[in-house]
Amino acid sequence: MSEITQVIETGPFEEHPAHPGAGAYVIVAVALCILTALEVTVAYLPALRPVMIPVLIILAIAKFALIAMFFMHLHYDSRLLSTFFLGGLLAAFVLFIALLFLFVYLDRHRAIIM
Amino acid sequence: MKRARSIFASAAIFVLAALLQGCGGGEQHPLNTITTKSDFARWITNLFVEITVLDLLVLAAVLITFILAIFFFSTRVGNPAPPSTTTSDLRVEIAYTLIPALIIIAILVPTVRTIFRSQPYLPPKGSLQIEVVAHQWWWDFSYMDSSHINTANELHIPTGVPIRLNLESNDVIHSFWVPQLGGKRDVVPGQANELTFTASVPGEYLGECAEFCGESHANMRFRVFVQTPEQFAAWEKAQEAPPGTIPASETAAAEGQKVFENSPCTTCHTISGVSKGYIGPNLTHFGSRTTMAGGIEQNDPHNVAEWITDPNQVKPGVYMPALGLRGTQLNDLVAYLESLK
Amino acid sequence: MAAQPKPLPLEPRNYLKGGGLIGWLTTVDHKRVAVLYGVTALFLLGIGGLEALVMRLQLWEPNNHLISAHFYNEMFTMHGTTMIFLVLMPLELGFFTNFVMPLQIGARDVAFPRLNALSFWIFLVGAVLMHLSWIWGGFPNRGWFGYANLTESYYSPGLNIDFWDISLLILGVSTLLTAINFFVTMVMMRAKGMSYMRMTLFCWAMLVTVILVLLAFPALTVGLLFLLLDRFFGTHFYIAAYGATPILWQHLFWLFGHPEVYILALPSFGIISEIVPVFSRKPLFGYPMMVYSIILIGFLSYGVWGHHMFATGMGPVADSAFAITSMLIAIPTGIKIFSWIATVWGGSLRMKTAFYFALAMIVEFTIGGLSGIMHASAPVDLQQTDSYFVVAHFHYVLFGGVMFALLGAIYYWWPKVTGKMLSEKLGKWQFWLTIIGFNGTFFPMHWLGTWGMPRRVYTYGAGLGWTGLNQFETVCAFILGFSFLLMYINLVLSTARGEDAPADPWDGRTLEWAVSSPPPEYNFANPVEVEGRDAYWLMKYGRGGAREAQMFAEGKIPPVPQNMQAPPEKPIHVPTPSIFPLLIAGCLFMVAIGLLIGWWRIMEIGGGTMFICIVGMCLEYPKWGEKSHNLDEEAPHSLGIDLRKAGLWTFLGSECVFFASLIATYVVYKSRNFGGPGASILEIPLTSGSTFALLMSSLMMVLALHSIEQGRVKWMRFWLVCTMALGCVFLGVEAFEFLGFFQKGLAMQTDLFGQCFYTLVGTHGVHVTIGVIWLGSILASSFRKNFGKSKALSVEMVGLYWHFVDIVWVVIFTLVYLMQQVKGA
Repeated sequence: MSEITQVIETGPFEEHPAHPGAGAYVIVAVALCILTALEVTVAYLPALRPVMIPVLIILAIAKFALIAMFFMHLHYDSRLLSTFFLGGLLAAFVLFIALLFLFVYLDRHRAIIM
Repeated sequence: MKRARSIFASAAIFVLAALLQGCGGGEQHPLNTITTKSDFARWITNLFVEITVLDLLVLAAVLITFILAIFFFSTRVGNPAPPSTTTSDLRVEIAYTLIPALIIIAILVPTVRTIFRSQPYLPPKGSLQIEVVAHQWWWDFSYMDSSHINTANELHIPTGVPIRLNLESNDVIHSFWVPQLGGKRDVVPGQANELTFTASVPGEYLGECAEFCGESHANMRFRVFVQTPEQFAAWEKAQEAPPGTIPASETAAAEGQKVFENSPCTTCHTISGVSKGYIGPNLTHFGSRTTMAGGIEQNDPHNVAEWITDPNQVKPGVYMPALGLRGTQLNDLVAYLESLK
Repeated sequence: MAAQPKPLPLEPRNYLKGGGLIGWLTTVDHKRVAVLYGVTALFLLGIGGLEALVMRLQLWEPNNHLISAHFYNEMFTMHGTTMIFLVLMPLELGFFTNFVMPLQIGARDVAFPRLNALSFWIFLVGAVLMHLSWIWGGFPNRGWFGYANLTESYYSPGLNIDFWDISLLILGVSTLLTAINFFVTMVMMRAKGMSYMRMTLFCWAMLVTVILVLLAFPALTVGLLFLLLDRFFGTHFYIAAYGATPILWQHLFWLFGHPEVYILALPSFGIISEIVPVFSRKPLFGYPMMVYSIILIGFLSYGVWGHHMFATGMGPVADSAFAITSMLIAIPTGIKIFSWIATVWGGSLRMKTAFYFALAMIVEFTIGGLSGIMHASAPVDLQQTDSYFVVAHFHYVLFGGVMFALLGAIYYWWPKVTGKMLSEKLGKWQFWLTIIGFNGTFFPMHWLGTWGMPRRVYTYGAGLGWTGLNQFETVCAFILGFSFLLMYINLVLSTARGEDAPADPWDGRTLEWAVSSPPPEYNFANPVEVEGRDAYWLMKYGRGGAREAQMFAEGKIPPVPQNMQAPPEKPIHVPTPSIFPLLIAGCLFMVAIGLLIGWWRIMEIGGGTMFICIVGMCLEYPKWGEKSHNLDEEAPHSLGIDLRKAGLWTFLGSECVFFASLIATYVVYKSRNFGGPGASILEIPLTSGSTFALLMSSLMMVLALHSIEQGRVKWMRFWLVCTMALGCVFLGVEAFEFLGFFQKGLAMQTDLFGQCFYTLVGTHGVHVTIGVIWLGSILASSFRKNFGKSKALSVEMVGLYWHFVDIVWVVIFTLVYLMQQVKGA
């Protein structure tokens, strides 16, 4: 009985690859803030209007990746977990692009009521 | 083993006979998709026949290997011959990957060609454009040529002229389908769909709604009359004119017009020169139609009277209310409607 | 630690024995849960079949008035919904996979046994609710596909569509939980030595199936959510008058619906791939090709949904694209069919009923597949879709393909489930009657379709040449019904006084045949090690084939090897039964019924009790013999990852699709918006502030995790409070923003932009709220004794969820707020 209790107490986490220290987290957070500031600037600068969409997308992907890799530890954890998540992300992306194409680019119908 | 073979032989003969049966019989099967009466329908049927032939070849290959495997190239438990230990054979596996792939390509090429051919972006030159508006559960047809005819449930078109149907829905999704004139196209609210074809053989073709559209989906039928250009011109001319004034001799019909004018009928139905309702079908030339109530019944006085007495009995869920007309009033109204040639 | 899981007695105990009624209601044993699913689904199969017979009677003659149009529409709706969601899926996933999969991979249970029980009870709630609408004015009557805008309140004012919508949402939750559970089980809990390429084909099929569930169901959830909002709150997601389009429903529905066809079909491919080698006494032909073709089918099935919509006018480019992808599926499917035949080729066949059904499935499914190629050709489909040709096609796939496989599976695995043999004589009778009844009912439908008979018509006119075949079909349908009656009789007789089944009645190849029939509660006394494909075959015959040849010559099935019969070396801790799954489902039922009939009191009571029960289920955890305690033994392929964490990641992957559907709808509808203030109403400065708060909350969250990993509980509490505070700031700003928009006249019902914006941002807000509650519960539990480093996983889990909500916001902030000026896409 005591043996089982022991197992519950310690758990299997000891073997985990070490997570980064607090310093690394703060650096990531600062980077996220800077990226957000950049995003807002880009959205407001008329000069950047032509390249706004790609720049905003790149900045959003960067933020996305930073959080997923460092805060969610995908960078440190087993690749298996990244696969789970990226699989879903890929399907989500396919769905998004497909619906966009079907409704916007391939739509040859004028809406009747406008 | 012998018994098995004779069973399979007779099954094969049965299937072949049945297949042949399916191809013929335009008379007995007025809604069939095989005896084509337009270019659009012919393209589809050609494709259908091609795929059917290839499908039957594949089915034959599967059945033959299946029968060989079970009855000729295997034993039963208890038989001393040990089972084969083969777990793969690269040549076989490549064969049954590649051959289906080739068949698929053979189907895909004409498929894609027909897709583009049957859906021209613009109406073909010289085409007759007709606006089709689907309602729960009837069809409204407006001719977009100089005649501006508006009629319901019976569509007249000429042979040899490209027809462009602009499909719109008044309520839910319906689907316009005249099997002998080609494939169906959904009628979607808020979306301008179209159907393009050229009818080649004069005749009367049945159509029906093919998308479930509520309680009386089954009762949303219609007819297409394909006519020679001369006949069509004559029909159009007759439809353009307002219905003639009712001769005094026909007292019943004249009385019926008064019944109509003083009843709630006028809020929903248009009769040119009499009323301007727009919720129900246009009745201007009701008497000239062969069918009524969404093409489910013959247009005769008995059926019309029955319909007016209790529409819901004929077409469950219908929006038209029972008006409580009885006796002479009812008979007069029926006589009036039937006089609208 | 009052109630430790008690070590099991050494003698194996049949899983069916003991516990009484309470034992069944609180069970978390995968085999018992499977039986619960099986009994429910077989009962509903009878109901769905009767509904089909009612329809066949109505179609006996033209202009028949046996039943009303209204009732007929209810019948075909309930028949379709029942057969797909309440019969085939629960039989495949709930019954057979639940029962067989853990045994085949050498596991003692699924990854999350309580979640498994919860799935079942939630499924039962959905099934009951679907039928209960009868009390409030009739069954659902808009088809299993429920095409908008016919399902909108204006055209369907009754409660029945509300019941249908909410029942499907509930069934979706149940299926999603099951999928996460099975996915983690198959990825992580395979026995030592069972690499992916040694997994049984059935498990492979199920692995791909559950991935499809995870990636497809969220689209249905979103579609149903929109319908719910339309019906309950007056939005216009599918109403053309506001610029929206009912076609959106079709895309979302078939985005789920076509993978759904493969969610139904792949398990049946797996079942056939199990039965055919066993009864041919040969290994499966071309195993690697079979695996790759399953993966390819799964992959392609996600990109073919448009072939259900060729008639909707998507335009020639989309038509061609979907035609091509749809036809490509024929290639891997052909590989499967020929591989099965090649497996039979040269075999030594054991002609049992299960094998009969498997062989019949190969032919019937081929016919269904070949007519499928016709529909994949878009122009041909224009003649066939919504006609009886399609009814013939999908019954050849779903009955000829799936139901035949399931009948085979029943005859194949029944001895393992109940420990009793089924009657072969009755089985063969059933087989031939099923063959006659099935083909007689559905094959003539090809002609009816070619002769123009449309689907879903409650009656048809005379003189169309359809009467004769319809009458023939009705007669055959009754033969089919009778054949199923024989099956039920067989099942009952076998359970009552069947012959006892040996552990390995069919000379099986896979691990489930290595345990007794019925299996002991703990499945395997000792951890199993697997040396190759066909694990059990290798155990009893060894390599080289000498023993195999010898036993074959003697015509014997070897006994179960000694090492599989050995008593347990260590005490086994089976999961303790739990009452909470049942209670939570019961509360869910109260909430749903309260919402549906507007009985708010019962809804409040149910919701409150449900919250308490969920907390109770979480607190139950430490006392509970979870899998992760001896991770290496229970989950040899976990790579040290806790199963719960893997489950959460799987869920997050599925959530991606959920949010993608919402975001795609927002982008599409924004471009069609007219009237109303539109996106220019959005204020970037305000939201930049709340974005900052949310990003910082993520920092606080990781710092909390860092603290607990260092064992500093007080610091962890501090950071958790910070996280919650920032989360509340974010929610507060959102509420303030919404209020401002309301005052400016933007309500959910105002325009397309309004409804999509509030739905997307609001759904995200709900996720944040759940996160705050979750954080609060962790904070509260940190005051309990023993809260220390060992609880770091709990903190990590809530952290993962919190960060995920954060990255969703990153996307929303960019697409919705920063790109507000972008017109359309």
